[in-house]
Amino acid sequence: MSVLTLTAQEEVPAPPHVVFGLFGAGAGAGWVFDALCDRVVPGAAVTLRAPLDPDGALVEIVGRIGTVRTGRMIEIVHDQPWRGRTVLRFAAHGTGTRVRLQSELDQPGFEWLMRRRGHVLRTAAHENTTIGLLTSKSGPGNLFAAASDNMATLALEEINADGGLRGRPVELVVGDDATDPATGAREARRLAAAGCRTILVATTSATFVAVSAAMADSGVLLVQTLMNEGGMSGGLRVQLGERPAEQLAAAAMPMMRAAGGRRWFLAGNDYCWPRATHAAARDVLPRLGGTLVGERLAPLGTTEFAAVVEAVERSGADIVLSTFVGADAATFQRQCHERGLHHRCLTLAPAMDESTLARIGAEATAGLHTVSGYVESLETERNSTLLQRYRERFGRWAPPLSTLSESVYEGVRMWFAAALRAGSDDPRAVAGAMHDARFEMPRGTVTLDANGVVGQRIHVAEAVGTDLRVVTSL
Amino acid sequence: MDSNMAFDALADPVRRDILGILAAEEECSVGAIAERITSVGRTAVSTHLKVLRVAGLVSERRDGRFRYYSIDPSGSARDVLTLLHQVFRSGLRSVGDAVPRAVEHERPA
Repeated sequence: MSVLTLTAQEEVPAPPHVVFGLFGAGAGAGWVFDALCDRVVPGAAVTLRAPLDPDGALVEIVGRIGTVRTGRMIEIVHDQPWRGRTVLRFAAHGTGTRVRLQSELDQPGFEWLMRRRGHVLRTAAHENTTIGLLTSKSGPGNLFAAASDNMATLALEEINADGGLRGRPVELVVGDDATDPATGAREARRLAAAGCRTILVATTSATFVAVSAAMADSGVLLVQTLMNEGGMSGGLRVQLGERPAEQLAAAAMPMMRAAGGRRWFLAGNDYCWPRATHAAARDVLPRLGGTLVGERLAPLGTTEFAAVVEAVERSGADIVLSTFVGADAATFQRQCHERGLHHRCLTLAPAMDESTLARIGAEATAGLHTVSGYVESLETERNSTLLQRYRERFGRWAPPLSTLSESVYEGVRMWFAAALRAGSDDPRAVAGAMHDARFEMPRGTVTLDANGVVGQRIHVAEAVGTDLRVVTSL
Repeated sequence: MDSNMAFDALADPVRRDILGILAAEEECSVGAIAERITSVGRTAVSTHLKVLRVAGLVSERRDGRFRYYSIDPSGSARDVLTLLHQVFRSGLRSVGDAVPRAVEHERPA
């Protein structure tokens, strides 16, 4: 993989340890040094907000701190919107400091940036079978999708190392919905034009709905890999992942026992998946003895949740069902913690994932629970093999896996198993072969019945620092 | 533009160095580039410049017996690379502005 390195340099009239200390301090030191970062230590989550859009809007560069040499060097290893390292070096220069920045840009990053800047790139013709991945490399979904691209890459590298499909390698084309349904639909059309006859969609359901409509007559198989509200399966549409009703049925009793109370407050983003999850809660929770004491919805991209947090406090809730996703979920949880909400109630966040937890920070995850078919700490043989391969391939600072990103690995693996079973990569044949089927995956056995209903074990997990630990499995 | 050809051209470390130099400068003569590339000789630098030109990444201007190179002004690559370069430079330029406040609230290093 070829990588281009860009460099920039600046002389600052202060000694190196002072300039070094400005990083992450929020001191108005420009977008690079004003990185969002709780602590400048190896492994800490870091977000840089770069004015990269044509209108000067900010694009988040999301990653972790890698190596740190106090007063001398800070390495940022980032995954979104492209993979690379940005290194800051500090050297004494007279009475001041020379700051030198080096930032890597790889080919996917180069192409992403060109598209983002409005350039049209020629669509290269692919001779081999090509599979598409529609993910969120920018916008509030950039957190939960941080490892999705890596997961598709790893699955295809394994498949190709074993000889690919009919002796030919399978290629991957990645699209970015920017956490926006209309952009997602445009990107899906681009992937189809690049020769993708199957597209894995690992975005919000709002994008999946828009893509499904945009691709209605395209003959392309769309597989939604991650948790969703269902209702769109059939024909060339496959929906993997967990469903709200089964997640709530699994988590309701353990949560009410742990909280010592039965009053639930529903709070989430205003789009189809949170609304469907709240509808399931209104159905499932009262049957299990829960009572509903309030509900609030906020648009995706909200950064101020004071009114929601106050409403939760006033309601006297024992448990918050949080259906915020991505950056919104991280911000909501941090603001709840600042207000001390964790002393009064527990939170169940079905779409909370490990890479969002890293963004929340270890202290502010107190009381947070999830319910899903996968967590990174899941102890299965296939999961430990997956984690080992993932770390070998992408390094120790690559984002953690979660049920949302790991579902992409499984989506690729299931597509491939179905293509082998069907003896063809024809979308209808593959869709058919994905049904009435059983797959052995890192999360365990996953089944799809003839109607596309997914069967898998569901785990209730508790946040311990920035990890998720299983407390109950069903 | 053909991004595959562009990136094949970028696959070579010397060509990446050349582009890195050109991203920071308006225009450079072959001699000025060769002075800053120490890993290969001037003839090799000329060959690499030709590859970059064919890939549409740099453009050439002749003035008498001298040739000058710059990142292709009509190309997407120029927009993207100069943009990134400018964005990083402007990001660092404000560090100095924060110094007085930083000295007041100096964090332990």
